[in-house]
Amino acid sequence: MAAALEVSGLTLAIGGVNVVDGVAFSVAPGEVMALVGESGCGKSITALALMQLLPGPVRRTAGRILLEGEDVTSLPERRMRQLRGRRISMIFQEPQAALDPLSPVGAQVSEASGLAGGEAREAVHRMLTEVGIADPLRRIDQYPFELSGGMCQRVMIASALIGRPAVLVADEPTTALDVTIQAQILDLLRRLAAERGTAIVLITHDMGVVADIAERVAVMYAGRIAEIGSTTAVFARPRHPYTALLLAAIPRLADVPKSRLAVIEGSVPQPAEYGPGCRFAGRCPFADAHCAAEPPPLRETEEGHSVACWHTERLA
Amino acid sequence: MTSELSVPALAVESLVVHFPARHGPPVRAVDGVSFSVAERETLGLVGESGCGKSTVANAVVGLVRPTRGEVRVAGTPIAGATTHTLRAIRAKAQMVFQDLATSLNPRMTVGAAIGEPLLVRGLARGRALEARVAALLSEVGLRPEHASRYPHQFSGGQRQRIVIARALALRPTLLVCDEPVSALDVSVRAQILNLFVELQQSHAMACLFVSHDLAVVRHVCDRVAVMYLGHLVELAPRDALYATPRHPYTRALLAAAPEPDPELQRAKPRVPLQGEIPSPAAPPPGCVFHTRCPMAVARCREEVPIWRPLGETMVACHRAEESPA
Repeated sequence: MAAALEVSGLTLAIGGVNVVDGVAFSVAPGEVMALVGESGCGKSITALALMQLLPGPVRRTAGRILLEGEDVTSLPERRMRQLRGRRISMIFQEPQAALDPLSPVGAQVSEASGLAGGEAREAVHRMLTEVGIADPLRRIDQYPFELSGGMCQRVMIASALIGRPAVLVADEPTTALDVTIQAQILDLLRRLAAERGTAIVLITHDMGVVADIAERVAVMYAGRIAEIGSTTAVFARPRHPYTALLLAAIPRLADVPKSRLAVIEGSVPQPAEYGPGCRFAGRCPFADAHCAAEPPPLRETEEGHSVACWHTERLA
Repeated sequence: MTSELSVPALAVESLVVHFPARHGPPVRAVDGVSFSVAERETLGLVGESGCGKSTVANAVVGLVRPTRGEVRVAGTPIAGATTHTLRAIRAKAQMVFQDLATSLNPRMTVGAAIGEPLLVRGLARGRALEARVAALLSEVGLRPEHASRYPHQFSGGQRQRIVIARALALRPTLLVCDEPVSALDVSVRAQILNLFVELQQSHAMACLFVSHDLAVVRHVCDRVAVMYLGHLVELAPRDALYATPRHPYTRALLAAAPEPDPELQRAKPRVPLQGEIPSPAAPPPGCVFHTRCPMAVARCREEVPIWRPLGETMVACHRAEESPA
């Protein structure tokens, strides 16, 4: 099946530093693809690049973003504006902050539908029902402050999907929510991807969320993809030392309590500290001179599973 | 854990904290909570936002005045204590907060911040203070020369180490931690959790560990209490709570926490809790959980379940003996 979204060689720079460097992935219709990583790994700025909403100081210096086969990087803003909400939509971490506090939620969903009058109201009603909002006829005229965080996230999902986009970019959609509400929203996203065939790019820092919902995952570190593959393969057989250590650093319900967790020494480098080689070299137990000098390319280790590491065989 | 002879490091009895609202009824943040923490024990307090867990923590260190009930630190009551006694209690009970950005004064060197509690209490100065600060810094995995730097020169994980060093300066008998690792990235969180487990062993210190993360709480705590809408719903030794949760809310929390293992996670039964947490200004009658409980019956809507023992567990549920719905 043709990809709903195909990103290749995406490079984003602030000043002279590539804060996102050669990022490539694709997402099929109905598929959930996760970009996972710690703060500063470039996952959120990648999401904004997909929407062509990069903030001032960030420039795209290379790469293509194909949305249903069409390269959106060369489109003028006027044309891009027509695509947002209809071909590609985005939802954000803090639903209450992302909605307009002065406008009833129904109007905000309706605005994205491109419809008017009774037809719009009907479409909004259907959409609010589809995202699981109880009593939609009452909610339609309420303001965001009258709704809980989980409900606001449902409203944001409704307004993102009412234009039937091919791609939904979800940036930490459940991070601000409680765990029981998070479970509801993840179930909703899973169902919408399956029923509507929406391709979802899920940006998250939470390996539990990835394990729950994503079919494929790209692990990002300091602006580059360290490892990409099916979620089952990456979790069962991580082939990048960063992925392996990250997974071992998470306390799990099956662990021995108070046992020592794996540690990645130091902290994530700032963009100004990026060296010429592998950006994980400074914290990697396998690093040698080669790693510090030359960035490892992303190479396929098994079908559909690729790793950017000179020493990946040491994890096999 | 608590023997009848020893005084617990912390005793909370029928604690009630209501916040007045400008319009309408007060917010019943904490509505009758009792528990104790033994010497050297770590008690986890888990629940979702608005359940009252942070208010309990704040009441324990005297940052919030209880509406009713009692808090005793090493046997000394906090409410009604004289300023002098309160000062002594505050030395024994120290707090670590979640928000690293506001926990340290940006214009104070790290050494001054860590040494301040010792200095204001006249416990050390000059060379002795410097030596003590250096020792505290090494204890939390930093270097003595870090004392002359400012907070902005440190990463998030290092700042949390500094905050912990400051909390340890007065050798407290009780450490109250409110979401101490929630703002940290996974790799850094592991460093701080390892440090925390080391400190539990090296310091004869009790700890109240407030968190929303069940896996983190299981990793560091000896016993675990679960809070919902101002009430404790279950309290049990760690292994009992995770292996045989007695309250339907505890089971729902465990089911909702996503495990970082795709095979385990996808095999889990999917019974997400319906609905939202009611407002603590208008809690439901009867059992506060009945509006979302898969097992609720007529009795749950009318009668408040009593806090009662069931094996090693304390639980507030009419149907705690029954198997899950």
